[in-house]
Amino acid sequence: MANRRRFRHSPVLRNLLILLMVWEVAGQLKLVAGGALPPLSDIAIRFWQDRADYPGHVAATVWSSTLGFLIGNVLAIGAGVLFVLFPKVQRLARGVNIAVFALPAIAIAPILVLTLEGNAPRIVLAALGVYFVTMSATVVGLSQYDTRAADVIRAYGGGNWKVMRLVRLRGAVPDILGGLRIAAPNAVLGAILAEFGGGGRWGLGTYLLGSLGRGEPARLWGIGLMATLIAGLSYAVFALISARVLGSTRSVTLNTALPPDGADADAPLGLRVSLAVGAAVLPFVLWWAFIRLTGVPEMIARTPWGVVDYLFLADSSAVARAKLGAALLETLPITALGMVAGLGFAFLLAIASRMMPGFIRAFMPVALVTQTMPLVALTPLLVLMLGRGLSVTLWITISVTFFPAFVLLVQGIQRVPQSVLDLPRAYGASAWKELRMVSVPAALPYLFAATRLTVPRALLGVMIAEWLATGTGLGNLLNQSRGYLDYGMIWTVASVSVCLSVAFYYAVLAVERRTLTRLGMQVVE
Amino acid sequence: MTAVPGISLRNVCKTYRSRGSEVVALEDINLDCPPGSFTALIGPSGCGKSTAMRIALGLEDHDSGEVRIAGQAPATATASGITGVAFQDAALLPWRSVARNIALPLEVLDRDPSRYSHEITKLIELVGLKGYENALPGQLSGGMRQRVSIARSLITSPEVLFMDEPFGALDQIRRRQMNVELQRIWQETGSTALLVTHGIDEAVFLADQVVVMHANPGRVIEVIASPFARPRRDDLYSTPEFHALTDRIAGVLHGQ
Repeated sequence: MANRRRFRHSPVLRNLLILLMVWEVAGQLKLVAGGALPPLSDIAIRFWQDRADYPGHVAATVWSSTLGFLIGNVLAIGAGVLFVLFPKVQRLARGVNIAVFALPAIAIAPILVLTLEGNAPRIVLAALGVYFVTMSATVVGLSQYDTRAADVIRAYGGGNWKVMRLVRLRGAVPDILGGLRIAAPNAVLGAILAEFGGGGRWGLGTYLLGSLGRGEPARLWGIGLMATLIAGLSYAVFALISARVLGSTRSVTLNTALPPDGADADAPLGLRVSLAVGAAVLPFVLWWAFIRLTGVPEMIARTPWGVVDYLFLADSSAVARAKLGAALLETLPITALGMVAGLGFAFLLAIASRMMPGFIRAFMPVALVTQTMPLVALTPLLVLMLGRGLSVTLWITISVTFFPAFVLLVQGIQRVPQSVLDLPRAYGASAWKELRMVSVPAALPYLFAATRLTVPRALLGVMIAEWLATGTGLGNLLNQSRGYLDYGMIWTVASVSVCLSVAFYYAVLAVERRTLTRLGMQVVE
Repeated sequence: MTAVPGISLRNVCKTYRSRGSEVVALEDINLDCPPGSFTALIGPSGCGKSTAMRIALGLEDHDSGEVRIAGQAPATATASGITGVAFQDAALLPWRSVARNIALPLEVLDRDPSRYSHEITKLIELVGLKGYENALPGQLSGGMRQRVSIARSLITSPEVLFMDEPFGALDQIRRRQMNVELQRIWQETGSTALLVTHGIDEAVFLADQVVVMHANPGRVIEVIASPFARPRRDDLYSTPEFHALTDRIAGVLHGQ
């Protein structure tokens, strides 16, 4: 059934054509922000004029993101297998995993540029972008295997390793491919972000940076569309592989939740506590080890202790705290506001769309395209259209939260079995009552999951907007600190934003667990 | 113990413990399947019939008592390839063709599947799937998948064959057809068979002896012989003798 829906392209094509035509007309008539949205034909002409520039930049971006994609995925799949075989290791690595998931890439881009050389920052950021996605997909895939098939193996004297080799590894391939599909655009985004934040001669991010001040909307659009195209193609390649090779009809977004914990509820308290403490400490140990191993001077690279020193003990710490506090006060409210608006909008639209399935079919492809659009390429375009005020920050936050939340919510609601929906109707309930009794409660777990999962994206969106457009908040502080060579502040902003992201993730998770437990529902994994 | 083929469970006990509560799954189970015989294990849900089979296969540990498969401990017997098993779900690997699914036990036992290509072809014919060698499980009907699973259970030419409701997912009509086929296959191979089932008529139709179990705690109530001449045919179902026996077993099953 899902297959048939996916391959019904014609309404999608029609909608796309309409969209393109509206775009051309709006551009020609300078309807949007006095010409900030150029007509498609202008973008195409500009692209043709710039055609000599693109190959080098595109090649650089594709090269870095491919390398990062490969390295990140090898690590992720290896880690996934390790976590499944040794649940205690997974427990221990939990802190690192969440930190990797939650870190706003823009915050650590400057750090990577400071500590690594050449292409390495781009590759690392691309690898970081894919690690969590593929790792979770691997763990989920390996954990959900056919236990009956495993019984057959064991009934012939096969052990854990034979079960892993004959049943679980192959069985996880669809999940892993699904993960790779989501991970591929992430790698492109990571590479472009690092290019953007860290000099170099080639790369779409560099090209974008160089074109920002020139007041040529058509070129910015060209670069933005090219970046989207690369990210979209990378998604499409893996979508095609999983569809053709496996005939898999899996959901289009990823299962980003944390992989299920190993069954350690029965473990002794002492072990559980030490694993939890280890999980919390490990990210900082890795941070410290990273600095020691790269051998970057103390002056530039700060250890965890160095950040504490900078923020609380050093002579200038009061000034640093004041700056950070002021930036946080600017960044956090707008992030929260944007998230609430984006999530609320997604929730309402997803619920409403239950009654208009045709709308979903037309809208989902658009929602999916926006998922692959590299944020850093999108932001300058929004700045062009919306100016440099608060509204641009707000819109970026709304858009980065809205689409993933919408996709997740729609998929959640679609999972409600028809019979459950039919029951209230069979007793003559109105559509509104059916909505209140079935659809809304059914969507609730997915709303929580969406909140939890979009926090890092929202923070990333706000910081990019602040860096590029508004000149306020954490993003601006990061950018300024680069200019002033205030290394302590760069490390501080990076670590504080990661910690905030993780803390917020856990806060939502706690509320989520309590609420859903009270309602007798399952946390969406 | 003398090394005789067949299945024997002596005073087997099994208790599940979780968070303070205890469930006695099997209480002092005794079971004897003579070589070449067909035994059906029947009882209500939760009577431990599947657990008994899983213990005999070494998939679960038992607390006390002795289990012998062809005179050996379960783990030894299964690892030496003298047993075959078919579960309620066909439990086929969806990415393997029919032939490669049938060859799966060989790979687990570290045998070279290419040396068995003749046996695989013969088994595919035996279960009536000629022409489907390279089909994937997703392309087969439920009944065909079950037949693959039966063929898989026979690939090692097992002395002892275990079946846990192998036709549980099929409808009544398909099931009766499959029972006739299963009887034919079993007679051709001459193995010792143990069938776990819910269905009284299936048990009576296939088995030499029907072992009736009760739940809470799981225990054997009575062993009843099913003496009909073989090969048994479809029309056996409508004979008065068949009905008399199924009625008697139903009575025992419901504690009358």
